[in-house]
Formats: sequence, C-alpha cells, structure tokens
Amino acid sequence: MAKKITGYIKLQIPAGKANPSPPVGPALGQKGVNIMEFCKQFNARTSDKGGLIIPVVITVFSDKSFTFITKTPPAAVLLKRAAKVEKGSAEPNRNKVAKVSKKQVKEIAELKMPDLNAFDVEHAMNMVAGTARSMGFTVED
Amino acid sequence: MKKYKEFLITADPFNEEILSGLLWQLDLNGISEEVNCLKVFVESESAVSINDISKILDSALYEKLLRSFNIEENIVENKNWNEEWEKSINVIEVSDRIVIKPTFREYENKPEQIVITIDPKMSFGTGEHQTTKLVLTMLEDIDLQNKKVLDVGSGTGVLAIAAIKLGASYAVAVDNDEWCLDNAHENCQLNNCTDEVEVLLGEITDVEIKDFEVVLANIQKNVLLSLKSEIAARIKTNGILILSGLLENDEEEIVREYSIFGFTKLHLEKMDDWIAIKFEKL
Repeated sequence: MAKKITGYIKLQIPAGKANPSPPVGPALGQKGVNIMEFCKQFNARTSDKGGLIIPVVITVFSDKSFTFITKTPPAAVLLKRAAKVEKGSAEPNRNKVAKVSKKQVKEIAELKMPDLNAFDVEHAMNMVAGTARSMGFTVED
Repeated sequence: MKKYKEFLITADPFNEEILSGLLWQLDLNGISEEVNCLKVFVESESAVSINDISKILDSALYEKLLRSFNIEENIVENKNWNEEWEKSINVIEVSDRIVIKPTFREYENKPEQIVITIDPKMSFGTGEHQTTKLVLTMLEDIDLQNKKVLDVGSGTGVLAIAAIKLGASYAVAVDNDEWCLDNAHENCQLNNCTDEVEVLLGEITDVEIKDFEVVLANIQKNVLLSLKSEIAARIKTNGILILSGLLENDEEEIVREYSIFGFTKLHLEKMDDWIAIKFEKL
C-alpha cells in the first residue's frame, strides 16, 4: 500500500551546503523528519552544482520517512548566471550592472514557466524581464 | 547557542519564485517557502538587514512585479530541531555482530554482539543510514586489534566508538560542527570509552598524529576530494582508508584522485544508491 503523505516542505538552499541550522532544522524538525539524513542526501546529490541555489520540495510520509526533488534555480539566480555577475545593482534604476539578451530572457521564462504562475510565455517573459531590470540589468534585443 | 535572524516576508501578489530569486542577491543561509510567506534566514551576526530586503523589494515594486509587501524580523535560537524525530529511533541491527540503540530503547544482546548506544541529537550517524552501515560492516572485516583509528567528520562519534569496541586501542574523532563536540563526548560516555576516544572540534589539519593505521571518513564527494592530501599525510604505509557518503557516480573520480596520493582501491560495497570504498595506502 502506498504510504500516506503528511505534508510538503519547500526550501531553497545553496547546493552541497545543507546543514541542520535554519531553515532546514526548524522546517524538517517540526514534521519529525531526520534532519541529518536529509542534509546528507541533499549534499551528495547537489555537490556538483557549485553553490547554485537549489529549490527543493520534500515530501513527508506518515512514518516520518521522506523523498525530495530538486528544481531549477529561481529566475533571478539564472539571470545572474546568464549575465555573468554575482550581484545585482544597489541602485537598479540609475546604475546598470549587466546586460541580458531577449533570447536569454525567453529561455529562462520557458524553463521557469511551471514555477512562475504565468498565463503564457509572453507573461512569463514580462516577469523575467522585470526581474532583470529590478536587479539593474538591461534587457537587449 | 547560535542565533539567526528570521525575516518573514509577505507580498501581493505572492510570487515566491520571483521574490526568493531576487532575495538571493543577499548572502542568505536559506529560504523556507511557506503557504503565504517566505521565511528568510541569516546568522545573527550577518550584515543583512531589513533595509537591504526592503531595498530589493522596492525595486520589484518599481518594476510592477509587486503591488505591496511587508517584512517582519524575528530572532530564532538554534536548538536540537531533531527532538521530534529522535523519539522515533529504534534499535538498529547493522549486522549480526553490531547493534546500535538510543538510550531510551532496551535491547537484550546475544553473546558476541556489540551494542553501541547513540543519542544523535543534531549530529549525523545513528547507524540507520546506509553510509554509516557500509563503514561499520567494512570495519568488522578489518583487524583492528591495538590499532589507532582516525574518524574524519565524526558526527555522533559512532564510527570511532565502534572501532574501539572492535578492538582498536585509540581513536580520534574530528568534526568541524560544534554540535558534534558535545554530542560525541556524551556518546563516548554512554559507551564507556572516553579514555580511548579523543573528540576534537576542528579540521583534519588540527589532528597532530601522523601514523594512523585506519582512517574513516563518511562525508561527501567534494569534501573528501578536498581532504585527500591531509588524509594521506596522516595514514601509515599499508594503512586502510574507508571513504563513505558517496554515490555510485562518484566512484571514478574518487578512485582516480586518491590514487595520486598512493591509495589503491581494495574493495567497494554498495547499498541502494550509496557506496563505500576501501583503500590501502602504498
């Protein structure tokens, strides 16, 4: 018989760097999941992703066992990677720090469609382009 | 006890994907996505402030990604978050010979059986995980009589304690996580081996002894790769090294990189997706 699901936990943590302090500790602890076992598995499975931010969805079962899936990094993280910068601008309206192409925006929008709650690709592209501008990136044709 | 700043962020519309991505411009420990809010965590000494978060969300307002937002700041004290899970730990028969149990469970051992008592709290190593089981069963096949054993990334201290119970004369358990220091001490007391196991808080570079006959490390690939020269510097010729915390795909790289430091693969054990590799230092 399939095990009963008692809840989901959604976290974002840098690849290979899960540890039992917050947010991992309190989020998993309150559901009675073995925190250290999660950290071990997450770090082993993401150690090659070089510090990228990894959203993870953990499914918790009634016997306190768990499984998890990792997702693609948030759009803003992918934009920084596409623009090859570590950080956005401190003054995004005045000080532009990087450029991304419309093609890159479209690629990220398509990749992130399932997570963006967008009506269509056009809507997703608007969100991704707005995210880029709010970090001080210019979007070019 | 270490403290953390928790920023509770709500927004309209609440698009956690956009919000969280933007917040990762700051140096954060992590984000927890709740039903109607994000919980953002940084260490209490971190320079990240409510103003930094406001500034990022103001830019999102300007770009019409949001209509409004609210931020609340709390302080969270680190504690044994594993308490709830600990209640569910059972006796684990790792092999015919090795049994691991928490203090609150009774176990009637058979003759020749070794029973190790471990209360894990926030440290890794209850014997439940495949990576620990693999090392323990490999340890059983090594002649440990009067040997010195180093356990790197020792967590609860379970491997060092097991080594002593299996005949080793002395073990050093080193871990860089402050939880593990107290926890490994407690577990050594529970198993009457405080004289034989030295627990160290720190890095492998803090271990001064250079002639261990056996070295154990149950960590993860990247960390094990970064430790190879330091491990090689602390193990005797013909010494045995057991590496665990590895997935099947990690084998090739680990074997190749460790061979540069004189380690020859002797044996590999597999359990589900996990592997442990036994080497000899030539």
